[in-house]
Amino acid sequence: MIILENVHYKYEPEGIEALRGISLQIREGEHLALIGPNGCGKTTLIRHLNALLLPASGKVTIGGCNTDNPKHQAEIRSMVGMVFQNPDNQIVGMTVEEDVAFGPENLHLPTVEIKKRVAEALIRVGISELACRNIENLSGGEKRLVAIAGVLAMQPRYIALDEPAAFLDPAATKRVLDIIDKLHFEGVGIIHITHNMAEAALTQRIVVMNEGRVYLDGTPRKIFGKAGMLKKIGMQLPQITELLIKLKESGFPVRMDIVNMEDALEQIRSLAGKIKD
Amino acid sequence: MYHIGSFIKGQSLLYNLDPRIKIAATICLSVFILWVKPLIAFVIGSTLLFAVLANGISLRTIGQALKPLLFFIVLIFLVHALFNEGETLFNIPYIGISISYAGLQQGFVVIWRFLCLIIAAILLTLTTAPSQMIAAIKYFLRPLKVLRVPVDDIAVMIMLALRLMPILLTEKERVEIAQKARGYNLQRSGLIIRIKAFLSLTLTVLTGVIRRADELALAMEARNYQRGERTSLVELKFTSPDYLVLIFLGVFLVIFVALNSHFG
Repeated sequence: MIILENVHYKYEPEGIEALRGISLQIREGEHLALIGPNGCGKTTLIRHLNALLLPASGKVTIGGCNTDNPKHQAEIRSMVGMVFQNPDNQIVGMTVEEDVAFGPENLHLPTVEIKKRVAEALIRVGISELACRNIENLSGGEKRLVAIAGVLAMQPRYIALDEPAAFLDPAATKRVLDIIDKLHFEGVGIIHITHNMAEAALTQRIVVMNEGRVYLDGTPRKIFGKAGMLKKIGMQLPQITELLIKLKESGFPVRMDIVNMEDALEQIRSLAGKIKD
Repeated sequence: MYHIGSFIKGQSLLYNLDPRIKIAATICLSVFILWVKPLIAFVIGSTLLFAVLANGISLRTIGQALKPLLFFIVLIFLVHALFNEGETLFNIPYIGISISYAGLQQGFVVIWRFLCLIIAAILLTLTTAPSQMIAAIKYFLRPLKVLRVPVDDIAVMIMLALRLMPILLTEKERVEIAQKARGYNLQRSGLIIRIKAFLSLTLTVLTGVIRRADELALAMEARNYQRGERTSLVELKFTSPDYLVLIFLGVFLVIFVALNSHFG
């Protein structure tokens, strides 16, 4: 379990308070989307989960380990993997396997174990054939998968991803999101920053942040049911939700807590049936 | 495009040799290239070129690697050709400098040796994966640990330098394109404007690279990087071909030193 208790954080020397009393609990195996306007503290928050940033006040504990304790940091970094927004700024090795091995090498594992973990991580993200490829010859989507594999090789219980689909074309986005889904299915806890509401709608839980605070927290149905509150902080809604709002405004009796295509289609079919009758 | 640390994956005896053997052989060969008579240096150079082609490396790649050094190659040749005394071959009008046959010959020999050294180094980097190379360097530096030299940190620094090299080039290209897109045409500009543009480009590229390096350091920390000893994916192990090359290298060195001390 990840537990944040009244976490405050201020960037020095600017003195900007990025987190203002965040309290949150994230269960193991949970798929959580972190959304909110730019500068609301999403990246600052996930950097606390990996002990890259330490709270100015408050407490962050990962699996019972306090991030404030330097003795726990290695264990915490093995438990929570971090995938940065730009894979070019994260990849250390010259070739795919070299980069994926970087984490296990830092864990002082023997060569045999490092090789095993590298092979397993590459299989899990489906890029075994790229093992010996030079990083510079990979596409943006492939680099993103290498970054995820690099984190997986450390066998984390949670992965925090900072906009994993940013700058990717639809095919690469689908590939990356499918891998994230697969990892969640395998039991890895996912904390996923995104600006794409359709992506957020596919998770189990959405935490909306605004001005360094938790603004809303709940299931996608609950969150997108509060369209007014989201619009108030400049957030867009999934297209499905927008469509249902328009239908409701036109006088159709539709439910507003629908977030996926199948349920929306069902609603529209039943509406069409009623009109026909 | 070739840059330091480029590696082309392939399959041959050279690719499969232990990197420690390759580094040792390259160092020996370099000393040999500078030491031997011009005719032998020519034979070595030709053999190196044959090795390049036999390992599936194109001459274009070698050309790309040599391109940035072209200025120095020409300069070295000119210094020897212009300032070597000997029987005059022809005079350069107006300047009053004469070029001798001996000067030209000396110039060609020196740049040939220089080219041989560079090709040997390129062959080493193109046929050795960076991780293998770093592991070998770490192996050779290991005795320095007694003197508290941070060998593992040096190895990581080399790895990062190799990693940042292409990023630096990409960043430079990106800034150049951005400048051109805003109508910055250096071809038609004077020297002062070109110098200013160069400074502006350098500053922008450096700022970008420092920002990236900062992010990279954070990402390394996130993956539990700490200074000091680390284990490695690469396990250096001698195989039969390595022993054969090592024996050959040893015998060759002994014969070379013996012949040299005997005949001078």
